[in-house]
Amino acid sequence: MTIDFERIIAILVSGLVSGSLYALMASGLSLVWGTLGMFNFAHGALVMLGAYAAWYFSNPAGLGGGLLLGIPAAIVLIGVGGYVLYVLLVKPFVGRPGADLIVIITTIAGATFLQNGVQVVFGPRYKQLARVLTGEVRFFNTAVGFQDLIVILVAPTMLLLLALFLKRSKLGLAIRAVEQNYDSAQLVGINAGQVYPLTFAVSAILAAIAGILLGGLFFILPTMGSEPLLRAFIVVVFGGLGSLPGTIIGAYIIGLIESISGFFLTLYWAPVVLFAVLIFVMIVRPTGLMGRE
Amino acid sequence: MKRVRDSISKFRLAVYIAGLIVFIIFPLVADEYIRHIAILGMLFAVIASNWDLTLGYAGLFNFAHGAFFGLGAYTSGILAVRLGLSPWIGILAGVGVAVIVSAVVSIPAIRLRGIYVALITFAFSQLSVLLIVSQHTITGGLQGLVGVPSLSIGDFRFRDSRVAYFYLAGVFLLLSTLFLRRLVNSDFGLSLVALRDFEEYAISRGVPLSRQRFLSFVYSSIFTGAAGAIFAHYLLIASPEFFGFSFNTLFLSMLLVGGTATIYGPIVAGIALTYLSELLASLGPIRFMVVSVLIILTMRFFPKGLWGLINGRFTKRGSALPQFTDRAEDASQPAEIDTIQSQGSPSVEN
Repeated sequence: MTIDFERIIAILVSGLVSGSLYALMASGLSLVWGTLGMFNFAHGALVMLGAYAAWYFSNPAGLGGGLLLGIPAAIVLIGVGGYVLYVLLVKPFVGRPGADLIVIITTIAGATFLQNGVQVVFGPRYKQLARVLTGEVRFFNTAVGFQDLIVILVAPTMLLLLALFLKRSKLGLAIRAVEQNYDSAQLVGINAGQVYPLTFAVSAILAAIAGILLGGLFFILPTMGSEPLLRAFIVVVFGGLGSLPGTIIGAYIIGLIESISGFFLTLYWAPVVLFAVLIFVMIVRPTGLMGRE
Repeated sequence: MKRVRDSISKFRLAVYIAGLIVFIIFPLVADEYIRHIAILGMLFAVIASNWDLTLGYAGLFNFAHGAFFGLGAYTSGILAVRLGLSPWIGILAGVGVAVIVSAVVSIPAIRLRGIYVALITFAFSQLSVLLIVSQHTITGGLQGLVGVPSLSIGDFRFRDSRVAYFYLAGVFLLLSTLFLRRLVNSDFGLSLVALRDFEEYAISRGVPLSRQRFLSFVYSSIFTGAAGAIFAHYLLIASPEFFGFSFNTLFLSMLLVGGTATIYGPIVAGIALTYLSELLASLGPIRFMVVSVLIILTMRFFPKGLWGLINGRFTKRGSALPQFTDRAEDASQPAEIDTIQSQGSPSVEN
């Protein structure tokens, strides 16, 4: 097996595509963790719902509005979905002792509900999202699909928008204020009770975008969110809980580790390598790359 | 006094004998479908009640428990299908693998706090199923491992009438329950609760945190691994679904609806929920939706579970999920001090 330029490009592209998807998902998780101190195990189900919503609004077998309708409709719908999810599964338990464990349990239940619900509504047959652009470009004799390029470009753009939103907008500042100091945030007049559900909505929008991108690459099925969710968990632990830059860097590192190990050790052993990396990080540096205590 | 005690123990003995008779006669009179549900219910009750050890008593967010069950199933199944080993040896091997794996998983879990334990254990269980699916020449891949043989003694196949499986599952549940009861009432069990409720104080009184947590993982995996192996030899398949959200949610619902840190709660709820879930089996995916809603409602309205509810009403001494009870309130109740004084000696019963 010779290592030539084409192979390196292929590994790089596949690592960047997975890294981008993981970054989108993990930053949503990280945002909720930083602000509420809770983990949303239904995040993968939101990704899946995003893909299904985009499919339903765009595909002729659904409403047939095309991707121009499908994408914005999915984003809005899943954003609202995130809000509702918070109200039903998280809000009743905020402030209770042991709330973080309860919320893990209720969101796992929520994910099971949504996965099976989608199967009831849409049936077990796989769906596929139309591609925005078909075809490929060639870099150094290596074919790179347009869909891959879109993922590689859209994800950083979205993350940039997220950073701008958190640094510039009023709501973004409120989210960060609540994250840094709950009591002081309330003292300066921020309604923390409203910030929580909106944080969930923003996180759900990121999940929806990840779902739409994922739906353009692979088949859409009820369990499609589970594996990316798992990677996103590994990413947030790896990058450091609650640190957005750490999460994003961690996502790309994990994506590249996965594609490199998949190439050299066959795809089958990639999960083992991932778990070994995770255990190693947990033992050497339990707070992750850029996490804080 | 002695006479009263004698009559109580006689009464108990009578209850035990009656229970035994019912247990022996039940599978002979019940139809095959009810027998099937009872077997599943008893196996699931074992899995849920052993999970109680880590999630309930130790208060560790262990989400790898379903993997111990799945690995037990696959180990025994693979040994029987690929190597032709006797399923009885396979069950022991399943226990062995579950114990080793639980020991390995517990090492990072011991070092970490709350939420990290949940993430690591969850990641572990999902990665192990990816590995199983990928090795399809050995494991059968996504379709699962088919052709797992039934348990048998000599020429007698347990599968033929299911009655033998019923007795096996019943004895298995009894052994597991005796094991768990003994464990939680021992010094070890009390030290787990002490660590859960007041970690710093327990450590300062000399409870070895790492060792107890390590042991809680290992102990909880013994019967779970065996249950997985028996389950595979009963259904004649080992499937990646054993690791999935739906199975895990089902076990979790048994534990939570029954009540954490109660042992009996998950057992009763395990059998009841298996029955409910099989009643809904014709609805397909909807049954998992019902189970999910049940979990959420339980967490919302009966956080101590149904057993905790009954227990709390009659004895005012329910157990609960970690950190649910308000420690300061309990400690400041003068009633406790009164009873100790009036009894003269502060010995603890049970």
